[in-house]
Amino acid sequence: MVGPEDDSDDPAGDGQAGHVVELVWPDGRAETISVGSGESIVDAAEAADVAIPYGCLYGACGTCTAELLDGELRHTDSPRALKDRSLDAGYVLPCIGTPETDCRLRVGHGIQAEVVGTPWK
Amino acid sequence: MSTDNTSHETDEHGHEHHEVEGPGYPTPAAMRTESEREKTAYVMGLRVGMETGGHDFVGVVDLDPDSDTYSELVDTIEMPNKGDELHHFGWNACSSSCHAEGLSRQYLVVPGQRSSRIHIIDAEDPRDPEMVKVIEPEEVFEHDLSAPHTVHCVPGGKIVVSMLGDADGELPGGFLQLDQEDFSIDGHWEADRGGMAMNYDYWYQPRHNVMISSEWAAPNTYYPGFDLDDVEAGNYGDSIHVWDWETREHRQTLEFGEEGLIPLEVRMSHNPEETQGYVGAALSSNVIRFYEGDDGVWDWEVVIDEESREHDDWDMPVPPLITDLLLSLDDQYLFFSNWLHGDVRMYDVSDAGNPRLVDQVWAGGPFGERQQVQGHEIRGAPQMLQLSRDGRRLYWTTSLFSSWDNQFYPEIAEEGSLMLKADVYPEEGRMELDEEFLVDFGDAPGGPARAHEIRWPGGDCTSDVWQ
Repeated sequence: MVGPEDDSDDPAGDGQAGHVVELVWPDGRAETISVGSGESIVDAAEAADVAIPYGCLYGACGTCTAELLDGELRHTDSPRALKDRSLDAGYVLPCIGTPETDCRLRVGHGIQAEVVGTPWK
Repeated sequence: MSTDNTSHETDEHGHEHHEVEGPGYPTPAAMRTESEREKTAYVMGLRVGMETGGHDFVGVVDLDPDSDTYSELVDTIEMPNKGDELHHFGWNACSSSCHAEGLSRQYLVVPGQRSSRIHIIDAEDPRDPEMVKVIEPEEVFEHDLSAPHTVHCVPGGKIVVSMLGDADGELPGGFLQLDQEDFSIDGHWEADRGGMAMNYDYWYQPRHNVMISSEWAAPNTYYPGFDLDDVEAGNYGDSIHVWDWETREHRQTLEFGEEGLIPLEVRMSHNPEETQGYVGAALSSNVIRFYEGDDGVWDWEVVIDEESREHDDWDMPVPPLITDLLLSLDDQYLFFSNWLHGDVRMYDVSDAGNPRLVDQVWAGGPFGERQQVQGHEIRGAPQMLQLSRDGRRLYWTTSLFSSWDNQFYPEIAEEGSLMLKADVYPEEGRMELDEEFLVDFGDAPGGPARAHEIRWPGGDCTSDVWQ
């Protein structure tokens, strides 16, 4: 019998098609989680007991801002926290982001500040 | 009586207050002179945007100098969810309900700024508070409101919370009214929002039937961080609003323009006879006095105008950024913090329209010489203030808002922020940093945290209003 962890179409093992998402931190640490179809990356990370930053959970606050390194991700709500220039640069919001393919994301608390910048420094 | 008591016998305070036991004090002077020294502080502790993450908490800090655990975080009440960003908080009842027999200052109303979740904490035992109710975000969003900020109890059995956004985190927000007994949501407080485009803090003076509210921005604008493009696009506030307290209708907008960009904390005189107050315009770094004219129309004037300063590491002059201010209970001194410069200032405001700088304390920030206390690096700079009721001790924390901290003082995200204290000598018009006092929220149980608003059991300089 093939276990759900071996089935890339059903990584969450719940009968729903989903994807594998690799989360990479600035210090080089990496974790791989399974994200069900339509599930947000934050929800999947919480379920897997992998801590990534988040706040509002509806795309308004940007605390969870991450950089999409590989793969495709769909926002299920309007990513209001990100300006067009940030979306164009590949930044995404995992709290309202669900993978369309297997993905690699750079995550961590500092990405939110990196996106906005420090205007006077 | 202990200052930690949640109710106050007021039967000895004059003709209007016989045999009445309410949750506060009959006058600001009674609160200032008849309460003892604060023994406990509640401090918002938060872990949103921290490197190690975790749950936010209400911290209990021991302020009793005779205690073995003086100046320590002795308890934390963790929130059930992550991501709240605890920020400001308030009481179910204060001196505005002085005549409400049977009511006590017992419950803390603790909103999550980012989550829009509202927590109710029973603090009947000041040193052993417990969570008794959680209002989930969905219940708040149903009223097309989000981003709860200032909490005041109001006469008539209600609690009013300023809300900065609609259910999508966009403008204009409004005011959420809760029932004082069971903390159920009544709906919007305001009957007619009129010209209120943005919201932030508010204060009210019921004897004069007035409320004043201020402006930050849409949650979608300020949540992600401070972006100068948003200032240029006019996405930040520059006005305050005058409301009819009884009819709950918007009456007047005072538009400051460039002189009053991002008007945040509103502090009206504690004396209920007064019809004036101050607001700190954070980005313009002006203190603006607002007042009612003889014709009942409100007006304003800049009474403190601070200058930006050059710094080698900055591309442009650094604005002081006035992020908090408060008035002593006798309305004689105004204190405010310059979060981007690193100082706390003390002004004599006995002549309300002509503040006189009497002292300042530097601690942290890019300009101050003092960068350590007890060998601990001062991460951040003076920010949320709280003054003892007798006006002799000023405490502050050094974090502003998780996303803004991460831009301007990123070390807070790794090591947490601090709570510090200065001794104030009102008779001499001066203050001095107390190097014996330090609470390092970097050492909080469960991991480093940011520290934000401070309150005492029994009421303080920013909680109570008099009828």
